[in-house]
Amino acid sequence: MSTPLIGVSKSMLKIKELINHVANTCLNVLITGETGVGKEVVAECLYLESTRASQNFVKINCAALPETLLESELYGYEKGAFTGAHKKRPGKFQTADKGVLFLDEIGDMPLSLQSKMLHVLQSGEFSPLGSDQDFKTDVWVIAATNHNLEESIRQKTFREDLYYRLNIIKIDIPPLRQRKEDIPSLIEYYFRLYKTEYPNNMGSKPDAETLVRLCNYSWPGNVRQLQNCIKKQMVVNSWEKIFEELTNDHPDGTFENVSDSAPRFSASLLHNVANNDRMSIISEFVDLSTSSEKLFEDISLKKIKKLASDKVEKEVITFVLEKLGWNRSKAAKILKISYKTLLYKMSEFKVSPPVK
Amino acid sequence: MADPTRLLIVDDNEDILSTFYEFFNSMGYEVKTAVDGFVALKLLRDKSLFFDCLITDLVMPNISGVGLISIVKKEFSHLKIVAITGYGDHPGALASEAQADVVLFKPIDLFKIEDTVASLLSNDNKNPKE
Repeated sequence: MSTPLIGVSKSMLKIKELINHVANTCLNVLITGETGVGKEVVAECLYLESTRASQNFVKINCAALPETLLESELYGYEKGAFTGAHKKRPGKFQTADKGVLFLDEIGDMPLSLQSKMLHVLQSGEFSPLGSDQDFKTDVWVIAATNHNLEESIRQKTFREDLYYRLNIIKIDIPPLRQRKEDIPSLIEYYFRLYKTEYPNNMGSKPDAETLVRLCNYSWPGNVRQLQNCIKKQMVVNSWEKIFEELTNDHPDGTFENVSDSAPRFSASLLHNVANNDRMSIISEFVDLSTSSEKLFEDISLKKIKKLASDKVEKEVITFVLEKLGWNRSKAAKILKISYKTLLYKMSEFKVSPPVK
Repeated sequence: MADPTRLLIVDDNEDILSTFYEFFNSMGYEVKTAVDGFVALKLLRDKSLFFDCLITDLVMPNISGVGLISIVKKEFSHLKIVAITGYGDHPGALASEAQADVVLFKPIDLFKIEDTVASLLSNDNKNPKE
């Protein structure tokens, strides 16, 4: 299952808007940002919003494989190309044809492979190892890195020409500590996710004070670290233990000192949280990722009212029916609606007793 | 000409952008500006606006000039494109590959750019008559 792009901060809304505008261009994209900010999530969103969504999304991690293996993974090989090549094997450029090739950690690609990559991107042709035939390939290349490639170019570890060829569209994802407003919605999202995945886990959500502490943490491992914390909380159910571990296991992480300016700072943060709650409530009914003009077209109070009341009604009807062992006539009486109306609503909201 | 020529100028350096704006405005052009390719694309896709010519820098955040040129060539093919770069050969080569009509290298005289724009647009006007 792919992860949606969660966030209500200005920078995340802008990224969503940018994705919207460029997903169908199939121009090379470079995604930058620290470890754990969600570079792959952005790549998947681009893919899912593009016309290539029905084709393959092929991922390769350029840092995880030794040079020769990376080369044969990318381009494939012919039988007998090297010792151990017992049969022909297609490369990622071939499996990703007409689809997306996601080059993760491109900044770690060895220089020798960078020149070959540049050639393929220029010509749209590649040849498998041990083959003298050139194959045409139509892949949409999305690359990601946590390196500062401009710096790598100065240090001569990354080719400038390859950089410019990849950097046609650049999506820079800021670290989580620079967009604290996103933290509450991320917590909410992962809580819901793990609750459905492991319904028996009892981990409790953070209260207001804990939430402020979580928002004040610097999250050196970004969203991935936050995600792991919540997973842990589902099991250990003790925020104190979680904070202890954060301090012990991540010496580089800091809790912002809020004691001096505590009242003002946490008040403004709670205001942010309130603001955030507002955005997350609205986002349940309206797609906030579209451009503002489109957004204003979509916001119709009547429509939203219907969506919101449907959602609540569905929950209330299910709740009452469950309490009453799915006795519909009793439920109709308690809800103070006619039996017919109840049946109609049950079918409209697709409410039905659990199948045993 | 009855209608002034409508220019879209894109550069992530706001000083350059305002210099360009003043200059072309004073030369009688109708000018809109954008600080990167993304802002420019939104202006281009705004149905109430219409442009004759795009003057764009190449190395910019979000959507680069090269990206913008590729999109414009596909979606707004009537637009004349002048690419300007100060970053050496690579972006310039990519701009030509993306079929910019003219690629100019910084530093460059504003009058030279105006000449280029004027001749691109007058060629375009002559062609249908011939």
